[in-house]
Amino acid sequence: MGKLKKKKCKLRLRRKKPKRLIDIYEEKLLQTLYLLRLPLLMLHTVMTIGTLGYMILSDGDFINSLYMTVITVGTIGYGEVVRGSDTPVGRIFTTFLALGGIGVFTTSVTILVRIFFQEDFIRNFRAWKMLRDIEKLRGHYILAGFNKTTLELINLLRKRKIPYVVVDSRREVERQLKELGIKYYIIDEPYKRIVLDAAGIHRAQGLVVNLGDDARNIAVIVTARLMRPSKEDFFIFSFASTEETAQKLEELGANKAIVPHRLLATRLAAYIFHTSSAYISDLFDRIAFGEETDIDILEIPVPEDSPLVGKKLKEIDLRRSLNVTVIAIRKPDGRLDITITGDTVIEPGDTLILFGHPKNLKKAQKILLSRMEVRR
Amino acid sequence: MKLRKILTHFFILMALTTNISFIVSPNPYELAFTISMNLFATILKMGEGKVLSNELMASSLAADLHLIPAGFLYFLGDVEEATGLAMGALAANIISVVLGIVETIIVSFIEEE
Repeated sequence: MGKLKKKKCKLRLRRKKPKRLIDIYEEKLLQTLYLLRLPLLMLHTVMTIGTLGYMILSDGDFINSLYMTVITVGTIGYGEVVRGSDTPVGRIFTTFLALGGIGVFTTSVTILVRIFFQEDFIRNFRAWKMLRDIEKLRGHYILAGFNKTTLELINLLRKRKIPYVVVDSRREVERQLKELGIKYYIIDEPYKRIVLDAAGIHRAQGLVVNLGDDARNIAVIVTARLMRPSKEDFFIFSFASTEETAQKLEELGANKAIVPHRLLATRLAAYIFHTSSAYISDLFDRIAFGEETDIDILEIPVPEDSPLVGKKLKEIDLRRSLNVTVIAIRKPDGRLDITITGDTVIEPGDTLILFGHPKNLKKAQKILLSRMEVRR
Repeated sequence: MKLRKILTHFFILMALTTNISFIVSPNPYELAFTISMNLFATILKMGEGKVLSNELMASSLAADLHLIPAGFLYFLGDVEEATGLAMGALAANIISVVLGIVETIIVSFIEEE
């Protein structure tokens, strides 16, 4: 007997999985459903008593008995439509049914309406639905923290048709997000694992951390980097208040930490230094900042075993075949070779810098990378 | 003993037993009572966050969706078809009872763990 008990205890029927945010919202919705039980039970009890009572009086006329009960407890009162309800016994029954039933009916309906229309139920349902939609996203960006900068970033991402999910803990932001027509957002603390998981961090391309506070930025970066350790597969961009903090954030896992006032100064300086060639300076700036949608720059690294190694630029002839131009080659030592010609030979470890329309660049990237894959 | 559990299982069993009694001797009172008991069982299963709650709710809904049309058919005169539908509901009710027993066993195992 003792052995049997031991064996029973060893049985593991269910492995506990960590809870997901969508499960929490689902639980909240089920809790609402649970609240419906009492009014529904009350209503159903009255309906059962009424219907069965009239059925006995009318010798089994179910449909009319049900109808009579509804019109009695619903205070409609079209009259005595069931056989036997106009007898003294029937009237006594109707009196008691109306006395008890009308109160139960109005109370139940009031509770039901209140449950369905209370803010939490609708909000939980929306959040649950949104989380289900977010589960379908691939290659998106998670934007932790919402402010004017995030909004500008959203506009640029929209132009490039890059999907994004906004995560912010402030409840008041929700209204603003709704008004702006932002499709996917989560109102919760972005440093929580469960929240980043719900935002689809394992399927996302990157994360932008902009919480306006270095400590909170660090918390998010560290959590995200623990979940997606590779800096090559998952990009984290963050804001920092100082250069020192920016360095620390990069050491902690951010691919790039930006100091906003320094970035602004650099951009302004670019205008000051190139006053005579303002158009080109502005154009390069806009390309770099992703504001120019017709022109873009792309880097394509050339590994040692690539079929491109040893070929001259005129042999691969990207300009004619794909309408993109190789404007420079970055050498493995970091030097930028801008004096390239058609006779320039591609060497292993080079990075080709291509210039062209984003669509053509994507095509070129696909073709060149697939060639490399085939060779491997 | 838990009152809530007793109540839920009472109505699940009542749904099954009244269903059988209607099939054995079809009469309007039995059918109305069966429909009512099934609806009670469905309401009591709402929002129950247990191991097999989804399956229990689904089986209960299946029984309801057999018995409500059976009610209309019976009172419109098609007793044979109504009895057929009640048999379908009986299958769902048997599954419901079995699931209830399985769930009780699983929950007791989990609690023991």
